[in-house]
Amino acid sequence: MQHHLILRVITKLLVGMIILFAFYVQFHGDFSPGGGFQAGVIMAVAFILYGLVFGLEKVQGVFPPWIVHKLVALGVLLYAGVGVLNMLLGYEFLHYGSLDPHHMSHGQHTGIIWIEAGVGITVTGVMIAIYYAFAGRPPRLGDDDW
Amino acid sequence: MIETIINVILFAMLVTTAFAIVRTTRLFAVVMLSGVFSLLTAMLFVTLDAVDVAFTEAAVGAGISTVLMLGTIALTTRSTKAPTRSSTMPLVLVVLTGAVLFYGTLDMPNFGDPNAPAQVHLAPHYLTDSIEEIDVPNVVTSILASYRGFDTLGEVAVVFTAGIGVLLILSGLRRRREEEEEDEA
Amino acid sequence: MTLLIEILSWACILGGSFFTVVSAVGILRFPDFWARLHAASVGDSGGMILLIAGMCLQSGLTLITVKLIAIGIFLFITGPTATHAVANAALVTGWRPTSGEGLEPEENAPYADADPSVHDE
Repeated sequence: MQHHLILRVITKLLVGMIILFAFYVQFHGDFSPGGGFQAGVIMAVAFILYGLVFGLEKVQGVFPPWIVHKLVALGVLLYAGVGVLNMLLGYEFLHYGSLDPHHMSHGQHTGIIWIEAGVGITVTGVMIAIYYAFAGRPPRLGDDDW
Repeated sequence: MIETIINVILFAMLVTTAFAIVRTTRLFAVVMLSGVFSLLTAMLFVTLDAVDVAFTEAAVGAGISTVLMLGTIALTTRSTKAPTRSSTMPLVLVVLTGAVLFYGTLDMPNFGDPNAPAQVHLAPHYLTDSIEEIDVPNVVTSILASYRGFDTLGEVAVVFTAGIGVLLILSGLRRRREEEEEDEA
Repeated sequence: MTLLIEILSWACILGGSFFTVVSAVGILRFPDFWARLHAASVGDSGGMILLIAGMCLQSGLTLITVKLIAIGIFLFITGPTATHAVANAALVTGWRPTSGEGLEPEENAPYADADPSVHDE
């Protein structure tokens, strides 16, 4: 395993930066282009890159499939949960202003941060789960057939 | 002027890449070319000032889907099979659809036309009042997440359903193959 | 002063464009895989550094310059790594330069045992 040394070192360097960039896109989406969909995909790319270089077992040790599968549902539940919370507070479904009735616009901002987090979690989970599903099956082509 | 030149060059490269994808039989090259196609599309989105869409396209199209398609090749074969039927009918169908789409664009307002229906009805309200109502400087985010929050919930549900579907199909196949191997043994 | 910066930045941008075009010509015209890879990596690194330096000079001391430098560092790391990965894959598969027929592989070098009879078309 000596010969992938450069790839390994560079991947270790990049994965952290990619995750940091994903968080930036996620939480800076209110001020600049970005948001949950983009951040989720970028976050998934970090783990897929790690899996490509270090192997599926390593990345599944970091991020086990059962957690990924839970995350897929958790994001949608978080999004819809914000809407249900708004209803419990006495407003319409997904009327985020109800989170802070004295400052409707602040409530909107809070609500947007939560639902964007939900979007990001679901997209990350789906992308990584699909990658695991593809990479986890025994390939028909051997290494020499390419 | 310079934007027109850039657009013409990008579209020419897009069409060239599309033809190369159609004509190539080695699937590995096809996957790489489709990555190139996604990057060119992302550049076109940047020239349209749609940066959000551009980097979604770059991350999904050129990044993840390339990896997933390579994974698919590893699970199947590496070159296309010769077509079993003639391709005249599909060609006629595609040309007809393209012609209809072109005909449809004739009725549409020009790109960036200030009098287009989309620009005079709701857009001014979003642009002038969203800061007061939503308190988010990025209008795209406030439209996507708040004004059209229900729509976005639908989108997330679609992503969720698609993911579950892919997982079900792949795990079902695995079970079937294991059964086949057991039968052979 | 402004004139000097303008001249410098345009010299950088034109130089970078020249390197990029030259490397594109090289990718099309060079005889075998290894030479083409060399041309591609020169355009990746040399042209990119000059272009980004030129753009930094254009934007002055702003946040844009910081972002450009970050992009530059990122490309400076990833470009050569990608070239290395491609070259490594080709070496493992057994490709050898066509012009180096009398060339013996180094002793104890990785993949010295790869089949040297396989060339690219």
